[in-house]
Amino acid sequence: MLFATLEHILTHISFSTISIVITIHLITLLVRELRGLRDSSEKGMITTFFSITGFLVSRWVSSGHFPLSNLYESLIFLSWALYILHTIPKIQNSKNDLSTITTPSTILTQGFATSGLLTEMHQSTIIVPALQSQWLMMHVSMMLLSYATLLCGSLLSAALLIIRFRKNFDFFFNFKKKKIKTFFFSEIEYLYAKRSALKKTSFPAFPNYYKYQLTERLDSWSYRVISLGFTLLTIGILCGAVWANEAWGSYWNWDPKETWAFITWTIFAIYLHSRTNPNWKGTNSALVASIGFIIIWICYFGINLLGIGLHSYGSFTLPSK
Amino acid sequence: MPSPASYLLLNPAKPFYLRRLSHPPTPPYPSPRLHARRLHVSCDAPRGSGGVGGRREAIPAGASKAKKQIVFFDAAPPVAQPQPQPQPQQGGSAAEKGESGKATTKEGGGNAALALLRRATKKTLSALSNLPLAISEMFAIAALMALGTVIDQGEAPSYYLEKFPEDNPVFGFITWRWILTPGFDHMFSSPVFLGLLALLAASLMACTYTTQLPMVKVARRWSFTHSGERIKKQEFADCLPRASIQDLGVILMGAGYEVFTKGPSLYAFKGLAGRYAPIGVHLAMLFIMAGATLSATGSFKGSVDVPQGLNFVIGDVMKPRGVLSVAPDVFNTEVHVNRFYMEYYDSGEVLQFYSDLSLFNLDGKEVMRKTIKVNDPLRYGGITIYQTDWGFSALQVKKNGEGPFNLAMAPLKLNGDKKLFGTFLPLEDSDSSNPSVKGISMLARDLQSIVLYDQDGKFVGVRRPSSKLPIEINGNEILIEDAIGSTGLDLKTDPGVPIVYAGFGALMLTTCISYLSHSQIWALQDGSTVVVGGKTNRAKLEFSEEMNRLLDKVPELIGANHENVVDSKSTAT
Repeated sequence: MLFATLEHILTHISFSTISIVITIHLITLLVRELRGLRDSSEKGMITTFFSITGFLVSRWVSSGHFPLSNLYESLIFLSWALYILHTIPKIQNSKNDLSTITTPSTILTQGFATSGLLTEMHQSTIIVPALQSQWLMMHVSMMLLSYATLLCGSLLSAALLIIRFRKNFDFFFNFKKKKIKTFFFSEIEYLYAKRSALKKTSFPAFPNYYKYQLTERLDSWSYRVISLGFTLLTIGILCGAVWANEAWGSYWNWDPKETWAFITWTIFAIYLHSRTNPNWKGTNSALVASIGFIIIWICYFGINLLGIGLHSYGSFTLPSK
Repeated sequence: MPSPASYLLLNPAKPFYLRRLSHPPTPPYPSPRLHARRLHVSCDAPRGSGGVGGRREAIPAGASKAKKQIVFFDAAPPVAQPQPQPQPQQGGSAAEKGESGKATTKEGGGNAALALLRRATKKTLSALSNLPLAISEMFAIAALMALGTVIDQGEAPSYYLEKFPEDNPVFGFITWRWILTPGFDHMFSSPVFLGLLALLAASLMACTYTTQLPMVKVARRWSFTHSGERIKKQEFADCLPRASIQDLGVILMGAGYEVFTKGPSLYAFKGLAGRYAPIGVHLAMLFIMAGATLSATGSFKGSVDVPQGLNFVIGDVMKPRGVLSVAPDVFNTEVHVNRFYMEYYDSGEVLQFYSDLSLFNLDGKEVMRKTIKVNDPLRYGGITIYQTDWGFSALQVKKNGEGPFNLAMAPLKLNGDKKLFGTFLPLEDSDSSNPSVKGISMLARDLQSIVLYDQDGKFVGVRRPSSKLPIEINGNEILIEDAIGSTGLDLKTDPGVPIVYAGFGALMLTTCISYLSHSQIWALQDGSTVVVGGKTNRAKLEFSEEMNRLLDKVPELIGANHENVVDSKSTAT
């Protein structure tokens, strides 16, 4: 009961902090940038991180197993992983565009997980015999870390595509979701213009120069981030295969979830290969990475929605039950 | 405060090449103008001391590494010198052209057929290693896999006939023919899918052979450049006025580069493993594919449902999966199920299944005994026995003190997640004249509790087999003595697993190494200026940031003769 209360409190803290952070971002976008607000949004992220961590730890202690046994817990872990991605460059003090992707991603994931949509599955559930293994920790945490990394990388690629073909995307402005997306991209662009202006480079200031520099940087960063995510995904899938050989009797069963993880892996392998051709670097590879973004969501959510295959424990329990 | 170069010079572990460099055999670079100048100590003290803090920690690392990195020019591998012979410079196409040309000239007259064959092989190889082809293969495989999860797999043909009818096609054109003809009802063993995988494997091999291996040769040649123009053309290029190439070398060493110098030129690299690792990735993929092929063709599989207390012979259960399946000797081992039981949560859900198994050889001697559970299989002589399923075999019942009778339990509901078993205890003698015999029905969801109904079908009560509490139904005293479960075991032999696991290990390792970025730096002392250029294959942004940081550390020399810089500095401090 104590743990339940604690989890409840932590969830509410993280959710309300996130609402405030979203508001700050909106103010920054729509009204004007306030230095103080920017700092406080960063503080808000830190608060959120500690409450998510606290939530995961208390879940672990109260249930006695690694808190990754259902979709809700895995979503929380995903936003935690996104936060870690958000923090690493901050620690290394290297400036990059990741935080503009990770902040909204963390916000949206966390918001989705804690919102009322999925209250049915907030309770910690018992863990079925097949999941009682040390591999659970290794396999699932690796998979979710790789999803988080790959999502960030493919979003950077999508940002590149949108910036490069800005005109073609004008009709998307009618859609609210796309509006949110473009809001973050325009934020990146704005930051860039500012930074570049400060640099006062000696290059001739032809109008497309900033755009070119921005897309180059986005391309480079998305390549690095996707490479990292691909490595994590490889480790995650292979750990899963070894686990399957212990639990299900074969290292590969063509289970839908497995198959889609393999499809994700193949798509990002295509991305990495397409970059070896200088003509395809940039737009074409970014297109592949953007397909990968959709594929990850199918792999992570879609298969669970269908509730088919051996991985069905991570699925939605519909309220009608 | 000694400068990095002087630190190394004063250090007993002084790198040999630096000593040689400070007295270069052919020093063409100190320009006459500089010679004429008066020698004085660098007046650029703030810049030097600014870098000292960073340099100080960098230098011991460089110095300790220097032992490993000292390169004697005399011992330099011959590949360092550009050879006039035709070497594969630009990947596959160049290598292929050169070698096929050789083949035709050498054997053109005598063995035209062989040359033709060779040329055909080369053609096939280059066609296979074509990147667009490989990418489209991967796309096709991904699409087929996606299709394989959309179409229900492994159903009877009639299912597809019903689901994809000819008169009402899905999306207007997909009928059952589209699915059954290419074998998409069993996608992952269909010839189309396996053929594509084989093609991909061929592409992998061809790419490794024609593109990747020549790249290794190129990467291994650490080449010096004597042309400043070529250095300036690199992705990252900079000019350092009034700098010394030795200082640059020491700083690069401190940053973990392997540094080689020769005369006025410098070559440094880092993360060479990152260049080689993709080859390892490809080889590991081939390993996994080979292992999977062996698994598919050379394994045995079987599954068996054994009531507690009974036994079976492994060989009776196992069925070969492919043409290469060879039955091992241990197939005559007999397995006895000593006990099957489950553990439950307080809420009544299953925590774990256990089967206590004993293995007996032909002589009836027990060779192994283990309690297996899900996630903890038994392994013996290449055979793995998994706990996968369970069932309700029989119920031991005493009726009015008679018995016990063994009542066989029948599974009542097979579809759906929950299991349900039932049995029937007749209360009248059954004969052909009276087919509708009345009796007691017993239902159970698990081995824990039995629900009893009387002969009219009314609920009477629930009894636990362990409680030893009799229940009165229609004037009969029923006592449930025991519930006998049966264990569902999966057995397999798989000769491919060690190979696949080796591939897994290699793949994990090589993909991790592939994250490393192979950076190369060239520098040339051009008068008092050092021209630096470099490139990297992956982390381009980090590389230019790192280079800017490192080049900021290179001390600026004011009006000093190149040769005397080091000495004057060391005496001055």
